[in-house]
Amino acid sequence: MNPLLLALLGALLIPLFVSTWRMSLFGLGLQGLIMAAIAYPGLQPMSSAPSWLSIIDLALVRGILAPLALYTVLRAQGAPARNDVISANLFSWTLALGTILVGFNFSESLVSEAGESQTLVAVAVAGVLLGFLVLASAVSPFSQMIGALRVENSIALLELSGDHHSSFGLQLAMLAILVATIGFFRWYLATLEASESEGESAPDGLTL
Amino acid sequence: MNPLVLVMLPTLLGMGVASPWLRPHARVLLVGTALVVSVLAFVHALLPSSELWLGGYVRSDATSRLFLTLINPIFLGISVYVASRLTATPALHVGLGRFVGLALTFLGASNAVVLGNHLLVQWIALEVTTLVAAPLIVRPGVGRSRLASWRYLLFSSVALSLVLIGFVCLGRAMEGAGHEPSFFIDRLLELDVVGAGPWGKPGLALAIFGLGTKLGLAPMYTWLPDAYDEAPPAVTALLGAVQFNAALVLLLRVVQVYRPSNAALVTNELLTLGLGSMVVSAISIIATRNMKRLIAYGAINHAGVIAIGLAIGKGTTYGVLIYVISNAFIKAILFLTAGKIKAHYRTKDTREISGLIKDLPYSGVFLLVGTLALLGFPPFGSFFGELLILSALVSSGHLYVFSLFCVVITITFVATGRTIFPMIWGVSKKSQSWPEQTFLAGSPKIAFFVVLVVLGLYIPPSISSLLEQVAASLEGS
Repeated sequence: MNPLLLALLGALLIPLFVSTWRMSLFGLGLQGLIMAAIAYPGLQPMSSAPSWLSIIDLALVRGILAPLALYTVLRAQGAPARNDVISANLFSWTLALGTILVGFNFSESLVSEAGESQTLVAVAVAGVLLGFLVLASAVSPFSQMIGALRVENSIALLELSGDHHSSFGLQLAMLAILVATIGFFRWYLATLEASESEGESAPDGLTL
Repeated sequence: MNPLVLVMLPTLLGMGVASPWLRPHARVLLVGTALVVSVLAFVHALLPSSELWLGGYVRSDATSRLFLTLINPIFLGISVYVASRLTATPALHVGLGRFVGLALTFLGASNAVVLGNHLLVQWIALEVTTLVAAPLIVRPGVGRSRLASWRYLLFSSVALSLVLIGFVCLGRAMEGAGHEPSFFIDRLLELDVVGAGPWGKPGLALAIFGLGTKLGLAPMYTWLPDAYDEAPPAVTALLGAVQFNAALVLLLRVVQVYRPSNAALVTNELLTLGLGSMVVSAISIIATRNMKRLIAYGAINHAGVIAIGLAIGKGTTYGVLIYVISNAFIKAILFLTAGKIKAHYRTKDTREISGLIKDLPYSGVFLLVGTLALLGFPPFGSFFGELLILSALVSSGHLYVFSLFCVVITITFVATGRTIFPMIWGVSKKSQSWPEQTFLAGSPKIAFFVVLVVLGLYIPPSISSLLEQVAASLEGS
């Protein structure tokens, strides 16, 4: 197996067992950076705008901006270190490992020839499934955000496995959507905690 | 006429509201833009023009013409409602600029979904509608609305992620079949078989499931009652009558392109989602005591009926389209009326609201009419549409589905009537002084009501012809 894909699998799996929000964000950032490293050889020579945009998307936005945006909020809030993105028990851990196996088995039916392409699809499918496992287990908005961003990252990996490349305009629009989504996640993370303590303070009639 | 103006005009003006020159005129800008865009949508529908624009990314066909003439007038009606609320309650001017900016951008993006000739362009535009709608759900100072807004954004993001995974898989399916991967709808329609092979089935299943979630179909429907309940009435109407149809257009395009190669998958998945949604909504309608949630569950029921109609395909599409149009106007009437009722009684609890026909006669009548249309009574278009779907279920041999459909719709009818009718006809519990309702405030609902009745009694030949063209294109004939 390609060492980068092995590292990516680690970045997907390890933060699930080390239940701290810092590790979750570190794992998320690492996923983006490793994906950028995987994509880099295929983008050579780096002379076109779409190639640069891909690197900005993977390395800068997914690798640095997304985790940093959430990190600054949690640090400002003084959030407790522990955060279980999936329940910390044997059942959940077995489920996570089983999900990886399902991803690898499923990829065999999608890509018949064994090789790097099959492994890339397997890791992407496993990433999507793990993202959904996090979403299904998560109660806190932060963990739900981690789940949603994991799914987004795995879709980007799945896109890397194909030959189809969108036009520059579409790529740019999708990147803008991702950045806006991260911005919204940051805003909700900063304000949701306060909203739990708010009641129905606005007069009922005063609404459009 | 270049249809791009329907996207650019509201979007640019929506952004322009941020400027200090336009902000004081936000109300006029909202209604004026909605009016101009509605007129342009009708002009676009009436005057045949070139099919493709902007390098093929934008397409003007029967489906886009139909849905543009549906969502833009509804947006205009909602704008007039907002303007009348502002006249009655000047305090609502606070934050109006933000509302108008987001709402106009929402309209531009919704039009982009309808006009898109590229599945990814439509996906991007639908994401934009989601991102601008999320802050609209938040009511300042109401914590629950922020939580509902977060749930809406989360579920929508997940739903649209599923759709994107589906599209990526469908692109790989094209590669596998030896075609150049493309998401241009006109090119996909020219190919005999797309979306087959090992990538095709999971891709299509995920795309339909994701869009079903965006439409509020079971099992991932829980965001919908929360968002519809907590959002201001005008925003709920935008979500239910405008965004729903934008998402539906994307589903129609996906079904149109990929049904020929995966007919059984499309039918079975849509039937399962549709029936599941109808059952879930019936149970929820029995359980709820919240007026806005009840209407929201009614909306889930309607989404289920539409999914079942789409699942059958041949022979039902004309009925489905009439049902879709009726559904949009019904939701707009009911949610705008619910806002008025809530503002009067200061509660959404159905047990606390009684004697509406005396306290708020106009709202009482609109709630009655909307409920009868919601339940599929004649002479409304929903009755006609439902009848066509039911007859197609029998003629296509789906007798089990037909039976379950009838049982669930009966339960829904009894449960809804049991809750709504005492609200309208019951003894007044609380009579408050309330400024008389102006014609301006009631005019959008009157207009929506007229359309509902016209759809049930007499469909003008030009509209019928447009519906037939859309049905033919969706059925591939």
